[in-house]
Amino acid sequence: MHIPDGFLDLRTAATAAALAVAGLAYALRDVKRSLPPRRVPLIGLAAAFVFAAQMLNFPVAAGTSGHLIGAALASVLLGPGAAVVAMTAVLVLQALMFADGGITALGANVLNMAVVAPAVAFGVFAALRRLLGRSLRATLLAAGFAAWCSIVAAAVACAAQLAASGIVDWGTVLPAMAGVHMVIGLGEAVITMLILAVVLRARPELLDEVGRVPGTAGVTAAYGLMASVALVAFVAPLASSRPDGLEYVAERFGFAGFATVAAEPPLADYSVAALASQSPWLSTAVAGGIGTLIAFGVAWLVARALTTAGQSAAPHR
Amino acid sequence: MAALRDRLLSPYQHGSSPVHRLPAALKFAAALACIVLIVLLPRGAWLAHGMIATGLATIALVAGSNLRQLAIRLLLLEPFVISVALLALLRPGGWPLFLSIMAKSTLCLAAMVLLTATTRFSDLLGVLWRARVPALLVTTLALMYRYLFVLVEEMERMRRARRSRTFTAGRGTVWRGSAQVAGQLFVRTSERAERVYLAMCARGWKS
Amino acid sequence: MTLLGVQGLSYRYPDGHMALRDLRFTLAEGERVALIGPNGAGKSTLLLHLNGLLPDRPPEVPVVTVDGLGIIETNLGEVRRRVGLLFQDPDDQLFCPTVWEDVAFGPQQLGVVEPRLSELVVESLAKVGLRGFEQRLPHHLSRGEKRRVCLAGLLACEARLLALDEPTSDLDPRGRRELMLLLTRLPVAQLIATHDLEFVVEICPRTIVLDGGQIVADGPTLQLLDNEPLMLAHGLERPHILRHRHPH
Repeated sequence: MHIPDGFLDLRTAATAAALAVAGLAYALRDVKRSLPPRRVPLIGLAAAFVFAAQMLNFPVAAGTSGHLIGAALASVLLGPGAAVVAMTAVLVLQALMFADGGITALGANVLNMAVVAPAVAFGVFAALRRLLGRSLRATLLAAGFAAWCSIVAAAVACAAQLAASGIVDWGTVLPAMAGVHMVIGLGEAVITMLILAVVLRARPELLDEVGRVPGTAGVTAAYGLMASVALVAFVAPLASSRPDGLEYVAERFGFAGFATVAAEPPLADYSVAALASQSPWLSTAVAGGIGTLIAFGVAWLVARALTTAGQSAAPHR
Repeated sequence: MAALRDRLLSPYQHGSSPVHRLPAALKFAAALACIVLIVLLPRGAWLAHGMIATGLATIALVAGSNLRQLAIRLLLLEPFVISVALLALLRPGGWPLFLSIMAKSTLCLAAMVLLTATTRFSDLLGVLWRARVPALLVTTLALMYRYLFVLVEEMERMRRARRSRTFTAGRGTVWRGSAQVAGQLFVRTSERAERVYLAMCARGWKS
Repeated sequence: MTLLGVQGLSYRYPDGHMALRDLRFTLAEGERVALIGPNGAGKSTLLLHLNGLLPDRPPEVPVVTVDGLGIIETNLGEVRRRVGLLFQDPDDQLFCPTVWEDVAFGPQQLGVVEPRLSELVVESLAKVGLRGFEQRLPHHLSRGEKRRVCLAGLLACEARLLALDEPTSDLDPRGRRELMLLLTRLPVAQLIATHDLEFVVEICPRTIVLDGGQIVADGPTLQLLDNEPLMLAHGLERPHILRHRHPH
C-alpha cells in the first residue's frame, strides 16, 4: 500500500503531509504526556520489531505469501500514540532506505499506515473490548477485527488519494482497493490474532494493560477524529463529482455537511432496488457491509479456536 | 538470502569522494528538491527527464559508486513501482500515463538510491535532529535503526530453530510457526527494551 | 583510600524473594576484585545497586557509598558517572547508531561539547585498542569489539569504578585474552562478576564469594579458589589452573 513518488499530484501530497504531521504531532504529545519514561526505548525497539515482523512469510497460495503490516498489533500492544510514532519511524526508514514509498508521498503513506491504521485499530479495539469484556478470547476477537478495519481504512484513504490525483478513476479504484484489501485484511486479522495470542500467553499480565484507554475519553475521540478527517478530506471532494449516488448516501448517512451538495431532487421516494440499479454506490456499500460481517465472523471463529485449544491442552499435562 | 537481505538493509557504499564528503543536509535537500522537480515535470517532458537522468548518473560516477550495485538496488525496488503503476492502466487511454508514471517514479527512485549510497543513515538522523524534528521521533528512528539488525538476526535464529523441529509442511504449520516466532520476538524485544532503558539511565540519560 | 563502601545492603524482589541479605564490603582505589558465585546468587542484582539503578527508590540513608558520595536520590547523576556499569549483553548497552555516538553519549549527557567531545571519544577508543573505529556500525563488530566499545563509553565519563557483569561469557579465546590484557592495563578500580574462574585467578588478587544473596567469603583469590570444599559448597569448583600447579 506504499505509494511511490510520481503518483500523487502536489496538492494531494501536501494535504496528506499536513494531516500526517498533525496526527503525528498529537501522538507525540500524547506519548510524552502518558507514557512512563521506562517505556520510551520500547517505541524504538517496537519499530524495529514491526520492521522485522513484516519480513515473515505467511504463505497463501501458489508461491504468494502475505505479510503483516502491524499497525493494529502495535496499537494494541503499545497504545495508539506509541503505535503512531513507531509506524511512522518504520515508514520513514522504508522510504529512505528502500524507496518503499516515495518521499513526496511519505506524508500520504504516513497518514494511511501510521495514523489512520493505528487510530482506527485502536478505536475499534477499545470499543469492542468495552462491549465484549476483557477475557483472552474477547481481546483476540477485538484485536483481529480491529486489524481488519485498519487495513480497509488505510486502503480507502490510499484509494482516495490516488483518485484525487487523477491517476485513477474513483469509481474504479475504490472497489478495487477496498475489495482487495478486505481480503488482505482477513490475513492481517488472523496473523495479528495469532501473534497476540502468543504474546499474551507468555505474558498474561499484559492482558489487563492492553487496550486500557490512555488518559481520558477525549484522547480516544481525538484519534477517532483524526482517522475520520483523513478519510473525509479526500473522499469528500470526490463525492462532489458524483452527484447522484454518493450524494444520496452522504445525505442519508448524515455526513452531507462535508460533501458539496448539488441541487438535486430528494431521492427518498425511490425503492431500494431502483436505487441499487441506479447507483453502483449503494451496492458497493452493501458489499462493504457484507465484507465487514464476514471479517467479524472470521475473527470470532479464530479467536474461539485459539482459546479453546489452549483450554483443552491443559488437562493433558 | 542473508546476503541479499544485508545488501538490501545496508545501501551505504563506503567511499571518500567529493560527493561523500558533502554535508548530509545538503545532499538530503538536493535529493528532495530533485524529487519535487521530477514530480512537477509535465507529462511528456522527455528532454527534461533525460537531463535529470544524466545528471544523476554523473553524480553517481563522481561518487565512484559501484554502478552495478546501484542498478541491482534499483531493479529490486522497481516491482513496487510497477505494481502500483499498473493501476493507471485500468483507465481507458492509460498507456501514456503509465509510461509517464514509470519514468517519474524510476527517476525518483534513482535519486533516493543515490542519496542512500552516499550518505550514512546516522548522518541523515543528524540532519533531522538539527532540523528540530521532535527528540522522541529521532530517538525512535535511531533505536529502530540500531536494533533492526539485532532483531532480524534473532528472528532468523528462531526461524531456523523452528524449522529444525517442523516435520510437516502444511500451511497451517507455517502460519503458526511464524506467529510463534513473531510473538516470542516481541516478548524478547520488550525485555530488551527494559535493559536498554537501564543502560541509558546508567549513562546519565534523563528522559 | 576506600572507593566503594557497602554497609548492610539488602534487597527484596517484587515477588517477595530475598535477593541480597545484609551485604558488607569495601573496595579500595585501583583494586581489582572478582565477584563469584552460582547462578541466582545475586551478582547482577548487586552490581545494579552500585550505580543506583536499584532499588527503584534510593533510601533516605545511603547504604552504598561511592567515592565519598552516598547513593541517594539527589546525586544519582554523579554516582552514575563514577561507577561505570558494563552490562552482560553488549547489544543492550551499545544503543547508538554508530560507535562514535555511543562513546560520546555519556560525555554529552555530562555537558561536554566540541572540540573536547571528539578528543574524548578518540582517546577513549584508543585506550581500549579500537583506534579508528569511530564511524563503524555496531552490528558489524565482533562481540569482543562491542564490549570494548562499551568500555570506552564508560572510560569517556572518567569512571572511577568499573562494575563488569560477565565480561568474558561469550568471547572467543582471542577476545578473552584481549579483554584480560585491557583490564590489567586500566588503572581504574574494578569489580568483576564472572563464572570464568581461570580469569579470576589470572587477574584478580581478591575475590568475594556470593551465594544466596550473602557474602560467604572475602579474601585473597588463591586462598579462596584453592579451597575445594568451599568452592564445591557454593556451586563452583577449583579452577584447573590451580589443580595442576605444583605445590610450593
